[in-house]
Amino acid sequence: MKKKKELKISRRTVMKGALAAGAMMSAGSIPSKLFAGEYNIPDPLKPLPTTGGNMRWIDSGDMKGVFWKKLFPEYAASRGITIEYDGLPWKEINKIVPIAIRNGTVHDVFQLPLGMDPGVAVAEGWVQPWDDYIENIDEWLAAFPSGVYLPGVNQFNGKTYGTCLTANKRTGTCLLYSEKYMSEAGYDPQAGRMTYSEIRDAAKKITKNGNGQYYGWIIGGNQVNRWEDVVHTFGQVGGAHSGRGGFTNRHINFQNGKFQIASDQYMEAVELLLQLKSDGSAFPGVMSMNAPQARALMPQGAAGMIFQGPWCIGVWGRDAPDWKYGIASEPVPDGKEAQPLYIAEGGSNTFWLSANSTMGPFAGDLIRFMGTEQGQIYWAQTVGAADPAVNPDAVAKAGLTGPSAQALSMFAENILVGPNPIVRNKDVGIVAAKSRVPDPSLALVIQGLYTGQLKGVEAQLKDCNQRYEDALDKAVEEARADGANVTRDDWVFPNWDVYSNYGAEKYQEL
Amino acid sequence: MHKKPLSKQIYDARWCYLFVLPCSILTGMFVIYPIGMSWYFSLLDWSGFTKEAKFIGLKNYYEAVNDEFFWDAFIRSFIFMFGTVPVKIVLGFIIAVFLNNQVLKLAPFFRTVIFMPVVTAIAIIGIVMTFVFSPFNGPANKFLMSTNLTSAPIDFLGNPDTVLPTVMGVYVWKWLGITMMYWLAALQTVPQDVYDAAKIDGAEGYRLWIHIILPIVLPFAIVIILVEAVGALNVFPLIETMTAGGPFFSSEVMEIYIFRTAFVTDSGTMPRLGYACAAGVFWGVAVLFITVLQGLWMRRTRRI
Repeated sequence: MKKKKELKISRRTVMKGALAAGAMMSAGSIPSKLFAGEYNIPDPLKPLPTTGGNMRWIDSGDMKGVFWKKLFPEYAASRGITIEYDGLPWKEINKIVPIAIRNGTVHDVFQLPLGMDPGVAVAEGWVQPWDDYIENIDEWLAAFPSGVYLPGVNQFNGKTYGTCLTANKRTGTCLLYSEKYMSEAGYDPQAGRMTYSEIRDAAKKITKNGNGQYYGWIIGGNQVNRWEDVVHTFGQVGGAHSGRGGFTNRHINFQNGKFQIASDQYMEAVELLLQLKSDGSAFPGVMSMNAPQARALMPQGAAGMIFQGPWCIGVWGRDAPDWKYGIASEPVPDGKEAQPLYIAEGGSNTFWLSANSTMGPFAGDLIRFMGTEQGQIYWAQTVGAADPAVNPDAVAKAGLTGPSAQALSMFAENILVGPNPIVRNKDVGIVAAKSRVPDPSLALVIQGLYTGQLKGVEAQLKDCNQRYEDALDKAVEEARADGANVTRDDWVFPNWDVYSNYGAEKYQEL
Repeated sequence: MHKKPLSKQIYDARWCYLFVLPCSILTGMFVIYPIGMSWYFSLLDWSGFTKEAKFIGLKNYYEAVNDEFFWDAFIRSFIFMFGTVPVKIVLGFIIAVFLNNQVLKLAPFFRTVIFMPVVTAIAIIGIVMTFVFSPFNGPANKFLMSTNLTSAPIDFLGNPDTVLPTVMGVYVWKWLGITMMYWLAALQTVPQDVYDAAKIDGAEGYRLWIHIILPIVLPFAIVIILVEAVGALNVFPLIETMTAGGPFFSSEVMEIYIFRTAFVTDSGTMPRLGYACAAGVFWGVAVLFITVLQGLWMRRTRRI
C-alpha cells in the first residue's frame, strides 16, 4: 500500500492564518468576503461546449447552499449555462435521490443518501467518472491532502467517481452558548473544557436566572439523530473510542471490533441528558422541535446552551449578527481527561456525477476550479467551519476569524483519523449495503429514555448494543452468502493507537 | 329468445367499450398496476433502487407480523380512527342541523368558516400547528397560562401522553367542514313536506329528529361513517408534518411505519421497499376488510 501523508491542520497553522488575516481585516467575526459575492472565475482549461444547457445540482444545503447560491449565478453567466440548485436536508436527500435514481431524473451532480455504499452506485451504473471532465485530473488530485481520495471510497477501477471539496474533520456537538447567560451563571467555557457537573450546574443557574423566560439547555429533540450524535461524541470524549460514519463504523471500538453502546461512557452521557431534564434545566418543548428550530431559538434568548455543529456559526452570523455567543469543545465526564475523537479517512460532501448527465464538461470545470487553492479559499471564506475546506493552506489564507477560526482550531486539536474497515477491505461496502439499523435504534432508545417511555438506562443500552451486534452479524452473514470475502475480524484493528492518526502504514502492518 | 353470441354483443356495444377504454387504461395504470406491483415487491428482499432483488416468498410478511412496532402502529391507526370518527360524525351532525336552519341568517358565513380548513393544504396546517402547540410562546399554551388553566406550558406534541390526542384534535378540526357538508347534503334530501307533516302531528324538537329525520338520513350516515373511517386511516401528511410519528413512536400510525421502512433511515441504512410493501399490503387488506364489513352493515340497514 502506498504510504500517505497524514492530513495535518495544526492549531498553530490555523491560528497564524487567522491572526494574519484578522490584522488586515476590520473587527468582527464574519469575514468581509462573506456575503459580498464576487468571484474571479478563471477561464476553462479547454473549450467547453457552446450549446449551453441547464445543470441541476442537489446537496445537503446549509452553508454550502449559501455559497453555491452566490457562486452559481456568476459561474453560469461566465459559461453561458443555467444552474438549478436544490439544497435540502439529509432527510429529504435520503428520499428524493433514490426515487430520482430509480426513475432516471436524478440531478446532474448529487450526493448519495446517507449510508449508501458508493461501490453500489458505481456497480449499478448510476454515476460516471469525473476523469473525462476534470482537466489534468492526476495533477489536480495530487494537490489534495493524502487520504482524501481513496480506492473503495471515492475511486473505483482506477477512476475518480466522487469528488470531495471539504474535510470531515469536525464534530456536530460542540458546546455553543450565550456569552451573557453563561457569564451570569459564573462560567467561562473558554477557560477550559467544562465537566458534566459544570454543565449541569451552569444549566441550573441559567434556568434560575431566566425565571421562566429562558432555560439552561435546548436540543432539537424530535430530530432523533441529535440524541445519538450527542451521546456518541460525548461518549468518545469520555473515553469510548469508536468510529464515526455509517452503521458499519459508528459506535464500534476498532480495538476489539465490538459495539460499545453499553459502555460506561455512553451511559454517563445519557445520564447527563436525563439529569438536565430532571433538573428542570431543559427548554420546555424540546421534544416537539427539530435541530434548526432549536438553533433558531438560541439567538432569541430562549436558552443558554446547545450542543450543535459549526454550521450554526454562519447561520447565526447572518440571522443574528449582534448576538454574542461562544463555541467550545464538548464537555468531559467529571474527573476524566478528554479523549480524542475519530474520523474515517476520506473527505466529506462527496459529489457524484449522474451517468445520464450531459453537463459533465461544466460540472467537471466547476469542480476543478473549486479544488484549486483559490476555489478553496472562496469556499472557506463563506462556509467557514461549517464544512471546512479540505485544503489546509487555503483555510489558513481564507482569513477566518472569531468562532469559525476557533472551531477549526478545536477540530484540529481534538480529532484524529481512525481506522476505516472499508479501506482495509472493500467488501465491507457490501455489508454496509446489507445492513439495517435495528428497531429501536440507539437514537430512538435515547429519545425514549428522555421522554420516560423507556426505563433503565443500563438495561436499555445493553439491549440496544446486542441488537446492533446481531444486526451487523446478520449483514456480514448475508454479504458472505452473496460471495463477499468479509468477517467481523475486518473490524478489529489491534495496532490502533488511539492517540495517533491511523494512516496507510498502519493498514500495511495488518 | 335466442341469445346473441358474445362476440356479437361486444361488437354491437363497441362504442360503449371504446368510451370505457380511456378510463380502463388509466385505472389500469394508476390503480391496478401499482397494486399488483406492490404485491410482487412485497415478496422481494429489495431496497427499491438497486438491481439486486431477491425473491423471499412470504418472509417479509412473517417479519412484519412478528414486529411489535408494526402491531403498535396498526393498533394506533385504529385508535386514531375510533377517536376521531365518532367525534366528527356527532359534531358534524349537530353543526349541520343548526346551519341547515333557513332562519339562521349567518349560516353561509359559518359554513364557510368551518369549511375553510378543509381547503387549506394539510402540510401547511401540520407545520402551523407545531407552532400553535409549541410550549414556547405557542398560542395554545399562552391561552392556557393566561387563563390559569395550567401553571406550566404543556408540550402537546412532545409528550407521549398528549401527542396523539392533540394530532387527533387537529385532524377533527381540519376535516370537520367536509363532514358537516355531507350531513347538510343528507339533511337537504329530507322534503319540506316531512317537516310540515311532522309539525302537524305534533312532533317537534328531539322527537322530530330522533323519530322522523334520523331514520331518513340513516343510510347517508352509513356512507358518511364509511368515508370518514377510511379517511381517518389515511393521515400520513398531517402526522408526518406534525410529529413524524414521535416522540418514540407515540404517534406512529401504519402509514408512517410504512414510510419509515420504505426510505433511507436517519441512522443511515438502506431502505426496505419490499418489506414496506408487505406492511402496506397487509394494511390495505385490513382496511379493505373494514370497508367490506361496513358495506354489509349498510346493506343490512337499507333492508331495515
